[in-house]
Amino acid sequence: MAAPMAFRRQLCYSARIFRGISHLVPRASGSCSGRSRYDSAKCSLPLTSSTSFHSASIFFSPPSPITVTEEPDTLFQKISVLVKGHDRAVLDSYEFFATMAAKELGITISKVSEPKKDIERLTLLKSVHIFKKHRVQYEMRTHYRCIELSCLTGCTAQVYLEYIQRNLPEGIAMEVKKIAMEKVPDHILEPMWKDEPNQKPSQ
Amino acid sequence: MALLTLCRVNVCGVGLQKSVNTRLRNTAGLSLLATNGNKDLPGGRGGRGSTFRKPRREAGEPRTEKMSEDQDWTSVYTASAPFRPGSVPLPVRMGYPVKGGVPPEKKGNLELIKIPNFLHLTPSAIKKHCEALKPFCTEWPSALDTDAKCDEHFPIKVENTDYVSAGPSVRNPSARVVSVKVALSSLKLNEHARKKMIKLVGERYCKDTNVLTITTDSCPLRKQNQDYAMYLLTVLYHESWKTETWEAEKTAADTEEYSWERSPSQRNILEVLARGGGEGEGEGLREELLGRKEVQEYRDSVTRLKNQGENEATVAQYKEAVKKVLSL
Repeated sequence: MAAPMAFRRQLCYSARIFRGISHLVPRASGSCSGRSRYDSAKCSLPLTSSTSFHSASIFFSPPSPITVTEEPDTLFQKISVLVKGHDRAVLDSYEFFATMAAKELGITISKVSEPKKDIERLTLLKSVHIFKKHRVQYEMRTHYRCIELSCLTGCTAQVYLEYIQRNLPEGIAMEVKKIAMEKVPDHILEPMWKDEPNQKPSQ
Repeated sequence: MALLTLCRVNVCGVGLQKSVNTRLRNTAGLSLLATNGNKDLPGGRGGRGSTFRKPRREAGEPRTEKMSEDQDWTSVYTASAPFRPGSVPLPVRMGYPVKGGVPPEKKGNLELIKIPNFLHLTPSAIKKHCEALKPFCTEWPSALDTDAKCDEHFPIKVENTDYVSAGPSVRNPSARVVSVKVALSSLKLNEHARKKMIKLVGERYCKDTNVLTITTDSCPLRKQNQDYAMYLLTVLYHESWKTETWEAEKTAADTEEYSWERSPSQRNILEVLARGGGEGEGEGLREELLGRKEVQEYRDSVTRLKNQGENEATVAQYKEAVKKVLSL
């Protein structure tokens, strides 16, 4: 009897996937990429019946093709994904998922490392009133996993990061450090005052 | 909707019935909530109305019995879902074992439900997802295969960070920080402009890697910080090409590197050598002294000592040069 509820949840999830890639609707994730003008492949997911989303037939929106615009794509020299969690086993599974997804999408993984865990310990009084000699200790362990990818285009990075972030398990946080490469802008190519060596002192 | 409400009521009824049965078994004499009479007389309770319970149905066999070996697992767990013992055909056990026993089985196991599972992300599911996502990816330009080529064509590196976490707010204020890194060799600067630029930025320039880093976080949005960083770079570049009138007052103490010309060290050594030699001829002697090999070695060692600091190699070199110059 829980089947109808699960089915509805699947519908909502698939709906978010369908709409999400074009509009980047932030779910509970805090990734805000404000570089909308570099959306070189303005995508809306085509309805393919061969995908694993079985509820695809429910949607009646017409299939729209992938549009390619003339804007230059950003180039990322390195993208470093650091995942933090309290459970090492969950991070292991997530790392397997992320590395496999990267391989399937053809992204080069330069390094997968495991930084040392952090343990934050608290020592509190055990009793509400008096008994100073009797304390209780708690600790919070944070495990890390760092996946470094190199040489990605903006579109690929967007697709991969959104896929990774939508499948981030509960209780795991992520930090994504992106290093984008840019050309020297036109106004820095040539100095403005090269021909006048002695300038009046500026204010 | 009706199905759901019925389902919920059914579940409640089952639970209540179970608890009632156990209580009756343990405490024989007590007559509790008379809901046990429900099953026997459904019609009789029609008058009370609100506590009507449907007759309890037996739970069927779990789905795992009917699963075949070569089924499509992606259709069982399509999306992220909690662990359902009746849907996962694996004999999983989890939890702290009873004394002398084994960890508890999967049926009714809260530990298995609490932990996030990756049953919806099996390798075949990942492959299917990636097949669907492949059309949206673009190729990396094949001409930029080495780091050196990337640095040559795209010398400016803009670094920013995104944060994903669960919490009351989706935003993270640290996401606005932007860092712009440029190698100074890729900008068109002459000697004066280079020195002035390094003096202007101060701490932000790293001598070892020749990289200027501008980190901005004063604006509330990331785009604003990026624009501000590029503006700073532009201003620095153009200002360093300008020569102000007060720059002519640059003293020896302001220079970045030690230069031996017109320094007290040069004067001293020439004086010493001139006095030692005995012939005073002014300019000609000075030129000849400067041209001598030992004097040049002395000059190199003093410059090295001043620029690189004092360590064993530099001090030893200085010692040798002094010995040679003064012919000790």
